[in-house]
Amino acid sequence: MSENKSPLTDPRTGEALPQRVQPGYYPKWRVMREYRYWDAATRDVVTQRLEAPKPLRFFTAEEAGVMEAVLDRILPQDDRLPAQRIPLLPVLDTRLATNKLEGYRYEDMPPDQEAYRLAVRALDAMAQEIYGAPFISLTVTSQELLLKSLSEGHPAGAKELWSTLNVKRFWTLLVSDACAAYYAHPWAWDEIGFGGPAYPRGYMRLEAGRPEPWEFNEERYGWTAPADSISDYADPESGHTASAHGQAGTH
Amino acid sequence: MNWPHSKSPLGGAFEEPEHDGMHRLGPMQRISIPRRRFRDEDVVDYVIVGVGSAGGVLLQRLARAGFDVVGFEAGPFWDTERDWVSDEAGSHNLYWNDLRIIGGKDPLALGSNNSGKGVGGGSVHWAAFTPRFHPSDFEVYTRDGVGADWPIDYEDIEPYYELLEQEMPVAGPAWYPWGKPHGHPYAPHPMGAVGDALITGCTRLGIGVSAGGPVAILSASRGDRPHCIYRGFCIQACKVGAKASTLITHVPDALKHGAEIRDTSMVSRIEIGKDGRATGVHYFDAEGREHFQRARCVIVSGYAIETPRLLLNSACPGHERGLANSSGTLGKYLMAQAGNVILGRFEELIRMYKAPPAHALTEEFYETDPTRDFARGFAIQTVGPLPIAFAKQMMAAKGQWGWGLRRSMMDYNHWAAFGLLGEILPWADNTVELATGANEKDRFGLPVARVSFNLHENDKRLIEFGKNKTMDVMRAAGAVEVVQEQRFAHLVGAARMGKSPHDSVCDKFGRTWDVDNLFVMDGSVMPTQGSANPGLTIQSLAARTADYLISNHSAIQSGAKRSLEEPGIRKTLSPPGTFRSGIPHLR
Repeated sequence: MSENKSPLTDPRTGEALPQRVQPGYYPKWRVMREYRYWDAATRDVVTQRLEAPKPLRFFTAEEAGVMEAVLDRILPQDDRLPAQRIPLLPVLDTRLATNKLEGYRYEDMPPDQEAYRLAVRALDAMAQEIYGAPFISLTVTSQELLLKSLSEGHPAGAKELWSTLNVKRFWTLLVSDACAAYYAHPWAWDEIGFGGPAYPRGYMRLEAGRPEPWEFNEERYGWTAPADSISDYADPESGHTASAHGQAGTH
Repeated sequence: MNWPHSKSPLGGAFEEPEHDGMHRLGPMQRISIPRRRFRDEDVVDYVIVGVGSAGGVLLQRLARAGFDVVGFEAGPFWDTERDWVSDEAGSHNLYWNDLRIIGGKDPLALGSNNSGKGVGGGSVHWAAFTPRFHPSDFEVYTRDGVGADWPIDYEDIEPYYELLEQEMPVAGPAWYPWGKPHGHPYAPHPMGAVGDALITGCTRLGIGVSAGGPVAILSASRGDRPHCIYRGFCIQACKVGAKASTLITHVPDALKHGAEIRDTSMVSRIEIGKDGRATGVHYFDAEGREHFQRARCVIVSGYAIETPRLLLNSACPGHERGLANSSGTLGKYLMAQAGNVILGRFEELIRMYKAPPAHALTEEFYETDPTRDFARGFAIQTVGPLPIAFAKQMMAAKGQWGWGLRRSMMDYNHWAAFGLLGEILPWADNTVELATGANEKDRFGLPVARVSFNLHENDKRLIEFGKNKTMDVMRAAGAVEVVQEQRFAHLVGAARMGKSPHDSVCDKFGRTWDVDNLFVMDGSVMPTQGSANPGLTIQSLAARTADYLISNHSAIQSGAKRSLEEPGIRKTLSPPGTFRSGIPHLR
């Protein structure tokens, strides 16, 4: 793949799409342009996310390599220019290093820190068992097949290691942590067209999804996921999982 | 476009407020926190453990009536301008995030889902839907042979509903048709696109629906509280000051009348004297030092997990199974409501981040319907998940990750979300206990709570029916794809009130059967929960108990025999300017 091509293709032409500063359907929307209209406390919290990530404190270099590869599959960013990729691992690392909890732990789960350490070991053991190579050197498809087996709660290998925790719950924890890091970032808000912080200005146009004077309407484009990926699917049957770990309240 | 720059947070761009020693509650309300501090050796009239929905109202009423009262709060006393943010991830500190163990067949997620920490408690991060319970809620056992009856009737709490709806105040339609029909003091809110979808879907199916409330969010400014600006961050705490929380509705008045709030102070144990009466509370201050505050009467208002945990951790000779647990019901009959989130994708744009998550609902299915195969019912309400919550819902509802999840998220603005609110009955095996593991202690060395939850047959049938009905409404609204995630909302029970000391923890005013001068008053006293959000009822019960305490004060202080008559409503205890403001009386 050349420097500026993403692995995504245009469904009409089959041509590779260029990497973007900002994927998604709101190419003109930049939430950070609005920061003067936010209150000071919010401005501080959001702008900190744009600073260079701090060095890792929880994961060892070796563990970090595996986790980086895993997070690249959970929320792939190959459609973004390298400089525009949202750091996920440092956010997770900080949470685990500072023991920032979600307020509960399932009785069939170890503490989050132990769960992640064990998962890294188990992923590598699975990779060795099935493909005879470490996880980070596997192809995208092989990595995703291993992860998919976790998402289904039936790990394809390293069953001994995985037996010490509830695999489906670990999967939920992992994807939740990835989402919490990615979708907290202003660049992700640009991508999905989220208006972002809205105090003290607020919103005026509540009806029918209309944009505020400073928002934009969407400009959709088609894209097809990379041929070597199996993650662009929906499994509505999985809606029967128990409550998500770390779910925020809704009502 | 240039906005006027001004120092006022309401004038657009502005800088950090100067540290002038004043404490900010919203952009306009500034209070100075009184320096009054009772000494540990002072015997105060009342200690309230937990300054949340119930604790805030009790503190204000008892202070206004002239008592020496201290409210203990494990979390901080918020300065809303400095401490709160218009941001999902940055609001994590609003919740009770300390360790709790969850289990059972259907474990209950805690933390951000339902547990507050800090002055105002859960009312800081509630969505502020404030429907009343229905008359039928107070006699579920009599009517349907399930659950339990309350020791009070709708008529006992109705006047307090009216009071609190004005004190918060509540915005909603002038005619609310369900339960006992009533009106609201403030105008209903304008609809966002999610509310529009609920109204469209319900209307096409012939289901009655309420637009713009009842919700405890100002639709017009009042005093030093601005009206709602529709920014959609209600459950991340309302920086605007438009959404009611006891922090801004009752606490300022409490402080003005000499109450003390001792924040970042974790009560660890209630002390029982030789005469069997409570003598005060042991607590840890912010530095982790242990103290003992003496009191004539102790009220526990820690919500459905911390209240039973504190009473269990207060076990002592004569109360080996935990305080106020001679019946064995302490920690049992914990309830949460079914809170399935039903998500619908529309061809047109929705932008569900605008407008309060709570702005339209239907209670058409609230009551028992003999044609259905389960007792009791459910409500359907608007919700408005922000990006992180929505991403997790896509993961749970569609099993997505990777490119599929990125794709769904790019369509965030095309989705609307409804919440089912289904009544789960009280069951003895849904419990709060003390965890026993060596590592299952908090930073003070106290055992943490272990919460076990299991759905029963009636609950499962109700959820299945309610989920399908909600999905039907979403489809009728025009959604081209409808998915759902099963989850729970709210948390009540575990120290229930009742008519007999054999099957309940406390009487109809919250006084524990076992200890004369020990009260429980919060969501944990509820015998059943209906399919109404519990906040309004929690605050109304607290106002009623305050009237009772004031009427029977000397008997409570001395242990003399007390009257169990309804105390009579004190209309002079509302915060200033709130009573009888604009309520259309429907008689």
